[in-house]
Amino acid sequence: MMWLSSGFLFRSGKSFYHRIDPRVKLLCSILMFVCAIIARFVYEIAIVVAFVLGVAAAAKALRRVGRTVAFTSLFSVLIFGLNFFVTRDLESSVLYAARFVGIVVSTSLFFVTTSPDELEQVMKTFRLPRDIVFAFVTAVRFVPVLMLDAMQIMDAQKSRGLEMQKGNVLRRIRSMVPVLVPLVVTSVVRSGELAEAMESRAYGAVPRPTSLVQYRARAADKVVAVAALLLFALTAYSFYVVLPPLGL
Amino acid sequence: MPAMLEVEGLSFRYPESRRKAVSDFGLRVEEGEIVVLAGPSGCGKSTLLRAVNGLVPHMYSGDYSGDVRVAGRSVKATDMRELAQTVGFLFQNPENQIFMFSVERDVAFGLENLGVPRPEMRARVDEALRLLGVEPLAQRAPHELSDGQKQRVALAGVIAMRPKLVILDEPTSLLDPKTASELVGLVARLRKELGTTFLIVEHRLDLLVGVADRMVVMSEGRKVLDGTPADVLLGEEAEGYGVAVPSITRLQKALAREGLVSGSRVMTSAELAAAVEGPGGI
Repeated sequence: MMWLSSGFLFRSGKSFYHRIDPRVKLLCSILMFVCAIIARFVYEIAIVVAFVLGVAAAAKALRRVGRTVAFTSLFSVLIFGLNFFVTRDLESSVLYAARFVGIVVSTSLFFVTTSPDELEQVMKTFRLPRDIVFAFVTAVRFVPVLMLDAMQIMDAQKSRGLEMQKGNVLRRIRSMVPVLVPLVVTSVVRSGELAEAMESRAYGAVPRPTSLVQYRARAADKVVAVAALLLFALTAYSFYVVLPPLGL
Repeated sequence: MPAMLEVEGLSFRYPESRRKAVSDFGLRVEEGEIVVLAGPSGCGKSTLLRAVNGLVPHMYSGDYSGDVRVAGRSVKATDMRELAQTVGFLFQNPENQIFMFSVERDVAFGLENLGVPRPEMRARVDEALRLLGVEPLAQRAPHELSDGQKQRVALAGVIAMRPKLVILDEPTSLLDPKTASELVGLVARLRKELGTTFLIVEHRLDLLVGVADRMVVMSEGRKVLDGTPADVLLGEEAEGYGVAVPSITRLQKALAREGLVSGSRVMTSAELAAAVEGPGGI
């Protein structure tokens, strides 16, 4: 489970791409995302995906983005299968599945190269309500804590004879119940304590809280943003005007 | 001048409970005092602490009577945001009071909420990090810290708000003995450097005998003992209320009964050893 979910979890890195302003990284990911949407042919999407993976490789995040693709491959197959079942059109079914992969890689690239701190900054830039930003922050903050809780509960239940690795899928899912119930209970208790601590530290005292750190876009960030926009324009132009319509 | 904390005839009953959690409780704490609150689990200590920082009655409603005043202001009539700047609260589990991804940002959390301007916030955060000795951890993530470090970071976040009164709810229960005594040393230092008043709930009284000015014992929601550590620990009643009288103090009492030591203060092991070694001793 941890292996699968790690595709969307940040790990600090020192590459050039990691150090770009988070807002610019978001712009890059959105542009790649849009490219995958507007591409009309599978080979065009393949170009986009190859480009994203190239950036991921430069950011030393290729494996983690790859993991996300592996994690979501079931959905890709499902999208292809359902489309093919309904339309009986191989071409469009592959296109939709490929588009999904394109969306996944471009989104994943943003998440694996952006720290939660930076994400919070991006959310603040968009003037999202403080409560929503804070809910996001605590959710991410407590992921490792909850995972530790879950492992402790698993150990405790295993030591009392719970067998989690045996039986068919149904039985294994059912054996998760004695783990999930205490996990939910401890999380509820924890959230109560969090609420007390928030109140005690003046949460919500003023409508516009200040911030200890401030991110400023550097010249290099602006260059990247402009380059990304130019590249996007060029790509869109190529997709619709230059590149030949090529089916499968 | 009003006392730092005045509790008068406080009673509180949670809506779902038939019994009062705190019953006709009175307490006066002067500025700069370190007061230890002891008593068995479920005796109402936690409720009392929450009544001091305003969680009772602002977050937990129930039958509330009596009055609690902090630095002369009624807790009931003051909202949480203002109370948060006067009363700091360190909870038992440090994990659940660290919100942000880095230590320094978490220490700044309360100040951000209060809208403190950035340059002043920077200075106050740095000061709190220095006072608690956690400057080298400033950029760490919470999950990279030990329990003792987490407790210090959480306390730094409380101290950065410059409260006059700090409440510690069983601060050492998750710490090993060495880290626990370091935390107690820290409390003594903060009192000395900042003049902070402390109200501490703690079971491990041996740790606090040296720094506490007063000990208050609660039982079934009421105050049953209140005095200096010597009054409480050398008296006959404390153990009856389930207070863990330190074993060295029990030895001191036993020796005093035999007439081998005298004196009206709680002795450390070294003092006790010196006393029995002298003329007339063993």
